[in-house]
Amino acid sequence: MRAFAFSNTPLDLHALRASVEDRSCGGYVSFEGWVRDHNDGRVVERLEYEAFEALAIKEGDRIVAEAVQRFGVTQARCIHRVGLLELGQVAVWVGVSAPHRGEAFAACRYIIDEVKHRVPIWKKEYYVTGDSGWVNCERCAAAAHDHVGDHTHTHSLAHQADESSRASAANSADSVSRHPSGLPNADYSRQQILSEVGHVGQARLRNARVLVIGAGGLGVPVLSYLAGAGIGTLGVMDGDALEPSNLHRQTIYALADVGRAKALLASERLRALNPEVDVRPYVEQATLETLPGIAGGYDIIVDCTDNFTARFLINDVSVRLRKTAVLASVYQYEGQLQVVDEGSACLRCLWPDGTRDGTVGNCAEAGVLGPVPGVLGSLQALEVMKVILGIDSPARGGVILVDLRSLESRRLATRKELDCPQHCDAPSLTEATDLSIAVTLPTLDWTVLDVREMTEVAEQPLPCASVHVPLARLLDDPSQLPDGVRYLCVCSRGVRSLAAARALRRAGREAASLANGYPGSA
Amino acid sequence: MTTVKIQYYAILREQTGISRETFTTDAKDAAALYEQLRNRYPFTLARTQLRVAIDGEFAEWSSILNDGAEVVFIPPVAGG
Repeated sequence: MRAFAFSNTPLDLHALRASVEDRSCGGYVSFEGWVRDHNDGRVVERLEYEAFEALAIKEGDRIVAEAVQRFGVTQARCIHRVGLLELGQVAVWVGVSAPHRGEAFAACRYIIDEVKHRVPIWKKEYYVTGDSGWVNCERCAAAAHDHVGDHTHTHSLAHQADESSRASAANSADSVSRHPSGLPNADYSRQQILSEVGHVGQARLRNARVLVIGAGGLGVPVLSYLAGAGIGTLGVMDGDALEPSNLHRQTIYALADVGRAKALLASERLRALNPEVDVRPYVEQATLETLPGIAGGYDIIVDCTDNFTARFLINDVSVRLRKTAVLASVYQYEGQLQVVDEGSACLRCLWPDGTRDGTVGNCAEAGVLGPVPGVLGSLQALEVMKVILGIDSPARGGVILVDLRSLESRRLATRKELDCPQHCDAPSLTEATDLSIAVTLPTLDWTVLDVREMTEVAEQPLPCASVHVPLARLLDDPSQLPDGVRYLCVCSRGVRSLAAARALRRAGREAASLANGYPGSA
Repeated sequence: MTTVKIQYYAILREQTGISRETFTTDAKDAAALYEQLRNRYPFTLARTQLRVAIDGEFAEWSSILNDGAEVVFIPPVAGG
């Protein structure tokens, strides 16, 4: 039996409940949505549901799978009615069984919220006055939907939005072409007028598959413009939940969304922006395990992450899989932009080992004004479209440096370095995995090497004896440290210490890095 | 002596407090120039953590400096 299905006959609730029974489970939570006798101040007699079944079933299956993965429940299903329904009948049923009630409640709530929000189902209401109207409840709710707010309120907002859109459609008569759903069709005329786009370019955009990694300050404008442009398949990969501090630069989200997965939130917004785009959320971090399998299904990879580890992983995977990568990063008022493809220098050509770790902070450490990643992300979206449309760009074979304080930009040409480990035969995609280890300080097994700056050491001394050599001094000459000793490199977050340990190993020393730094992320 | 036009990016600009300057030096190559500047400014980055570009192209640290050269010091950045 499918995880998500439609039924054109009344639901057999007893059988449905039995279908999620499981001996390993301690509880079962279900939700039934009923046909009620009023909506938005009008008295309703009965309802008719219609769905784009092929598309809707795919999306429904995806939602149930997300719930199972996210909340770790054992069984989950959702059945939605289509056809004519009488008052009091069950329109939608969700059933979840799990070892404990907490995840069962959460998964059930997640499934019904997401189904109402994302699955293309339309509802026709028949009123006692004899007339009727299509109420695109789910889709127009996308703009006004509020997961933590009062549901009645949300729906009444949604219906107002729907009323007003129908009213404006009546006024503008046939000027807007419409999908059978009642939504207007997407209209790309403003970009198709450009000679570089036209029908051929639009078809290229529609056939393109773009994976955006990081749905944050850079990712939000990238995703918004690419969805608006009608990119056929858009992957959204981000393992983080939304935090209030994200909102000043990540403007498609709302305060009420805080705590929810950004990949899912972004996907909702993008589907509402352009239902023609096949948006695929991946609620996970890009790692050596997760990324190659996902990236294989895309043509262009857009790096919108905020750390060097992810950035180099994306570079390496893109080079290996022969995908074009569009990279950008920001630091306070500045940004760097680069397009990497088979003919151009990659990130490792540009930044050899040792140049990168712990040198410059991310937005959380260094601070940033919202529009800065907004500008760089917009440039990335433009570069993606240039690649698809075959428009040449100076960001290939060069790094574009943008200083948004002085509003100056310049291009520095790169050469595809012959000794780049990615362009010859690198033995592996990443370094030895034992480089970063978890140890509790103090420790007698290691000589602790503190690579922080003097001011940091004074603020937060280590709870044990240590040798202090700031990273920059260490990298000047790692062999200055005596051999025959096991070094545990320590910094505040485990990034600079990783660079130190790597440099020491290259100098023939035994070394490791304290994972997450001291005092650690707690 | 050679006079060069220097540009600083990211944390280097923060640590110098300026984004560009004209500088007269007896340094023969880019590496020696950076070591000189390290005595002038509180740089926390080692030369091996940076790249240098001369006259609009990424260059080797051993590149000879000509009079009037445009030298850019640039660290990698990771914010997003």
